[in-house]
Amino acid sequence: MAHPPAFVARRARFQCPVQDFVGPCASQTCWPNRLQEGLAVHMNVYLPIAEMSANVLVFLGMGAAVGFLSGMFGVGGGFLMTPLLIFSGIPPAVAVGTEGAQIVASSVSGAIAQWRRRNIDLMMGTVLLSGGVLGSGIGVILVRELRRAGQFDFVVAVSYVTFLGAIGTLMMVESIGSIRKARAGHAVPQRSAGRHAWMQGLPFKMRFQRSHLYISAIPPFVIGAFVGVLAAIMGVGGGFIMVPAMIYLLHVPTSVVVGTSLFQIVFVTATTTILHATENKNVDVILALILMVGGVIGAQFGAVAGEKLKGEQLRFLLAGLVLLVALRIGWSLIAEPGDLYSIATGKLA
Amino acid sequence: MRQWVCAAVLALSCPAMVEFADAQPSPQQKRTRPAAPAQPKAPLQAPPGTPPATADQKPPLPPATADLRETVQADVSTRSVAITSSFTGTEIVVFGAVDNSRQPSAESGLYDVVVVLEGTPSRLVSRRKSNVFGIWINTQSVTFEAVPSYYAIASTRPLDELADPLLLRESDIGFEQVRMNLIKGWETGLTTADLAEFKSAVIRLKQKEGLYVQEQYGVVFIGRSLFRASIELPANVPVGPLVARVYLLREGQLLSTYTARVKLERQGLEWVLHTFAFEYSFWYGVFTVAVAVGAALLASALFRRSSH
Repeated sequence: MAHPPAFVARRARFQCPVQDFVGPCASQTCWPNRLQEGLAVHMNVYLPIAEMSANVLVFLGMGAAVGFLSGMFGVGGGFLMTPLLIFSGIPPAVAVGTEGAQIVASSVSGAIAQWRRRNIDLMMGTVLLSGGVLGSGIGVILVRELRRAGQFDFVVAVSYVTFLGAIGTLMMVESIGSIRKARAGHAVPQRSAGRHAWMQGLPFKMRFQRSHLYISAIPPFVIGAFVGVLAAIMGVGGGFIMVPAMIYLLHVPTSVVVGTSLFQIVFVTATTTILHATENKNVDVILALILMVGGVIGAQFGAVAGEKLKGEQLRFLLAGLVLLVALRIGWSLIAEPGDLYSIATGKLA
Repeated sequence: MRQWVCAAVLALSCPAMVEFADAQPSPQQKRTRPAAPAQPKAPLQAPPGTPPATADQKPPLPPATADLRETVQADVSTRSVAITSSFTGTEIVVFGAVDNSRQPSAESGLYDVVVVLEGTPSRLVSRRKSNVFGIWINTQSVTFEAVPSYYAIASTRPLDELADPLLLRESDIGFEQVRMNLIKGWETGLTTADLAEFKSAVIRLKQKEGLYVQEQYGVVFIGRSLFRASIELPANVPVGPLVARVYLLREGQLLSTYTARVKLERQGLEWVLHTFAFEYSFWYGVFTVAVAVGAALLASALFRRSSH
């Protein structure tokens, strides 16, 4: 036959790897290699939107690892997952769009649990949410325009460095202080934030019953909108901004902060996902599904691990993690790139 | 559901099938060549490796004369590559035969064959970073109207050995000949040297992504007239039709060319999801959110049961 044997073996491997194992062994591809290649073929899945083949195990593991950390610290994990996806070769826009769907999955069960415990201020949540929907709409359009201008990767990196750097530093300082005080034997006093007089003068005052607040609807709306923009651009839920803003700026009681923020995150990330899918077509449902499966499994173990650590220790570790991510992304901005040129193809190039 | 999808895919693909395997007689074929008296005359017989699929497109063999022109016929192993969820790249074999081959054996190396497999041209932006206050940021960009998304060259010998640059340029062979036209009305203010830098960056980055490939000894003769070339399509190959051009050369002269087409398209679940995402984007987004909520509810139900 005119075809060389290597060619026949090659085709057969793609048609039926198992049959190929029992066949005669070619000298350069012995069975361990073939087994490995056979496994690699089966563990890969072609992502329809990212238009690339990805190893299922790698992304399942990534989802599980981030899920573990988010279960342990009680955070959404978007700020870890999106950079990880980008580092592993997923196009930044697809990473941001897809991560929104995964955050929906990881926040829904928490939000339902909080709903059952009546820890959600629906009025506050609705005001935050209406701001959030507006913000996510703005964010999705910003993503489109930035991609056209070729500055999207840069803006994502700068936002990560800015927000993670700031939040990480604040958390690090606060947790070190708490740990020191706890070692010295003092009780850790709750920080009482000062009242913001200028906020009292704003119009559209509303009564937020669960939060025992009578304040203007403008500050929560603006905070919601700001977090919505970040959610769309950074591929995060925005809890790391929302929770401190609610505690320190709006003085929402801590008992309803987590539930209300989860409520807002579920709906804002769902909106972001739908808007990204419609406007930017960067949501990969297969990738999202893989991450979700890994994430929910990891979160179960993470929650168990989290119960064994003290609050200030957890915050210290989380701050360290946040700062590491910020530094890693910051380094990619200031280090001279290996190639100054880059190319982009497709409709949004 | 599955049958419906298959039927839809078939219906879409049928009109495209008609245009397959059309031979394109090149202008070079009309060029009369001086007879080569030193060459031993090829015995007149049917070429051993005539592909059955292309049998109808050749006229009957002319009577034996001293000036029997060599022509090339070729086809691809897979005219339609399906991108399914298990797609991890594939291998395309381009095989063909030299009609009226005069070489005594596969090793004599009388002929050179170049196979170019080219992907669908699409718009491409090339950007250049520079340092602005310590931060590396994209500052310059050039938009090319249409650049082949994929470009593979396989040849019997390195290109610079088998023909002179002029011929390569005329026949569009080689990375340097990849068509890169600037979009209309593009005012760059870039010098030609800068533009050349951008173009070479495109080729360099495409090579790095494995989308521009060159195999210097990728075409092998396996008989007096039969040859084959195997070209790897990577998993990240942009989806769209591919064109395979086969060039037959002897002593640096182009004798004949042949064109075959390869269809590259999504099938099965990939096709469904991609169509869903691009044709019904809003509902695709709603669907993705529903998947997320469903997965979360399922997981919490499962884990609650196991924890009790």
